[in-house]
Amino acid sequence: MGNLINKHQLKNFGVRTAGTLAVPALFVVVIFIICAAQGVMVLTSSSLFADFVCYAAIVTLTTFALSINLGSGRFDFSLGSMATLSAVASAQLTYSMLGGGAGSGIVMLVFSVLIGAVAGAFSGGLYVILRIPPIITSLGVALIFEGITFVLTNGTYIMSEVQNDSMTLFRTQWYLPAVIILVALAAVYFLFDRTKFGYDYKALKEGQKVSINTGIREVPNAVWCYVICGALMGTVGFLQAARNTYISTNVLNFGSISVMFTAFLPMFIGGFIGRFSNDKVGYLLAGLSMSLLNSLFAQLSLIGIIDSSSRAIVEAVLLVLFLIFLNNEQTCRDLVTGRIFKKWAEAARERKAAKHSREDK
Amino acid sequence: MEEVLKSRSGDAVKKQKVKNIIIMLLPIAALVVLFAVYVAIILANDYNLAINLETIVNQAIVLVLVATGAIFIFTLGSFDISLGASTLFSATVGILVFNATGSLLLLFLTCIAVAVACSLLNSVLSSVFHLPMFVMTVAMLSVLTSIAGTIITTNSTSAGANPAISVSDSVLRDILGSVDTVWFKVLILALFAVVCIFVFNFTKVGRRQKFLGGNPVCAKMTGIPLSVYGIIAFVMAGIGVGLGAAVNVTYTMSVSTGTASDIGMSVFIAIVFGGMPISGGARSRIYAAIVGGFSYIILNNILNLLLSSVDGRYGYVQIISAVLFLAIVYVASINYRVKHLPR
Repeated sequence: MGNLINKHQLKNFGVRTAGTLAVPALFVVVIFIICAAQGVMVLTSSSLFADFVCYAAIVTLTTFALSINLGSGRFDFSLGSMATLSAVASAQLTYSMLGGGAGSGIVMLVFSVLIGAVAGAFSGGLYVILRIPPIITSLGVALIFEGITFVLTNGTYIMSEVQNDSMTLFRTQWYLPAVIILVALAAVYFLFDRTKFGYDYKALKEGQKVSINTGIREVPNAVWCYVICGALMGTVGFLQAARNTYISTNVLNFGSISVMFTAFLPMFIGGFIGRFSNDKVGYLLAGLSMSLLNSLFAQLSLIGIIDSSSRAIVEAVLLVLFLIFLNNEQTCRDLVTGRIFKKWAEAARERKAAKHSREDK
Repeated sequence: MEEVLKSRSGDAVKKQKVKNIIIMLLPIAALVVLFAVYVAIILANDYNLAINLETIVNQAIVLVLVATGAIFIFTLGSFDISLGASTLFSATVGILVFNATGSLLLLFLTCIAVAVACSLLNSVLSSVFHLPMFVMTVAMLSVLTSIAGTIITTNSTSAGANPAISVSDSVLRDILGSVDTVWFKVLILALFAVVCIFVFNFTKVGRRQKFLGGNPVCAKMTGIPLSVYGIIAFVMAGIGVGLGAAVNVTYTMSVSTGTASDIGMSVFIAIVFGGMPISGGARSRIYAAIVGGFSYIILNNILNLLLSSVDGRYGYVQIISAVLFLAIVYVASINYRVKHLPR
């Protein structure tokens, strides 16, 4: 009996591990093959590795933020505008206090998270007060935040405020964005998987009416979700400023929305991985995979094989292919095992038999 | 007693009907008020009214054409955020064809054919592979923007930092100029609106689409196929996008990577401004796109005129129009409040 349990547990562990690592492993293998075929190498220097971790942090945190509200059926177009607004406001605030001197980076990060959280609270507050569909609220909020960003800067680039040694550390030292990823992962895991707030969130996500009838308070839960999204996007805004060494603030007329589109593929990959382990771990692994792909694209663009347009097309095609797989998993499995041909043959036989029986009658 | 109850319930029904009519007319009344305010500001500042009205039509026409076609998609409770990218791609192919042939008819036909093909690809792929429509349109947005960007960069006729394909031949510019009139654009919009109103209000297509948008489960159980009506909706949207792209080429005589970049999202604003719920269903109206599109553009122009001397005015204009947008949606949705938070 004990042996049976051990065998079962072992098999279960094997399946879960394989399922968790399958997609990242596939990314690594494919990227390795492309590198070998094209004669390029990724992550060959410490600066490239630091950029890899920084981009992974940006993608992972955006994916966390996107999945929190989208998972509950709340489509949020304002994520990008929250990131830009927090980055701009925190950069100006920090620069006015420290003038780009020592400690600017960490102070800007703190301000960025706080301003992001306030922006999230504003967005969530507006949603629960107005009680109009979140997709519409988020459109209005995105326009307001973009407008505020423009007013703060008159549509110019933010350069000197983020170009200092303290900010450069977050771009060149890999452990700093790595710490940000780990802190964000721990915070999101704790909040959504280990607290009453998280249990309420999951209950509301699965059955809104039933949860409300059982006494769960939806309004504060929704507002806190927006606050957490805002704080995450504030961090994303800071990381983008550190990585790009400037902030583009001319984002009027929904120019900020594209940020959220980068997180769709990792969100679906993370959701798939989450079936075998935990969705937050899934988002992290997906973020790392996407960042590795980004490093490959950077190397391929250096030798002129790929440009930004082809890159966007490849990412969009990957998204569609992965979704086709997710939504037709059984068919894909049958195709791989060859069972689909048997099914087709059986269906053809049945049609033939039905035809014969009709003719006999 | 029964009579009293009957008369009371009759009064309640009447009151509700009046309320519904007021809410239905609210967007039209808002458009009239906005138009009156705009005209008053123009006249008070001694600006040329005819030129300013022409500007309004030129700014609004592409948005209104695209939004009118998109009503069919929104009615199903679905949405397409690749409409702007589709407009850009159609206009890019259209201007290349026009530069090569000099034919206006081919410009319009190419734009419509390309836009309908993009729309069909969206809907067919999503129905064949059971993909969520909005994610499919996100992917399409990236693909179309990138392909159009590559075509524009490769065939760019401008030497500056912003690549663009222009109609530089003077004969061809004259041909485009001959149709770059308010009357031609209004005629195109009127014809398209009549076709859409006919399909939407006088055929089973519109009725069934409203049913599918209002209650997809019930509609499916009565045998209405979502895939068929989804494809029809995307074809109609494609025609709107194609017309919008062609009209845009006749007006600007060039296409750059920034062409129609905000159309995809502005369509949402226009439709909601026009008094239609984003969730679609029975309250969907074709006129919502026309009323909402013009209201949105007039409002932005009013704010631009009022804040013309303020630093960072574009930011303020956007903030104020967003606040007004949310306020209008809030007022328009008062009748449809539910206990729990909407999703």
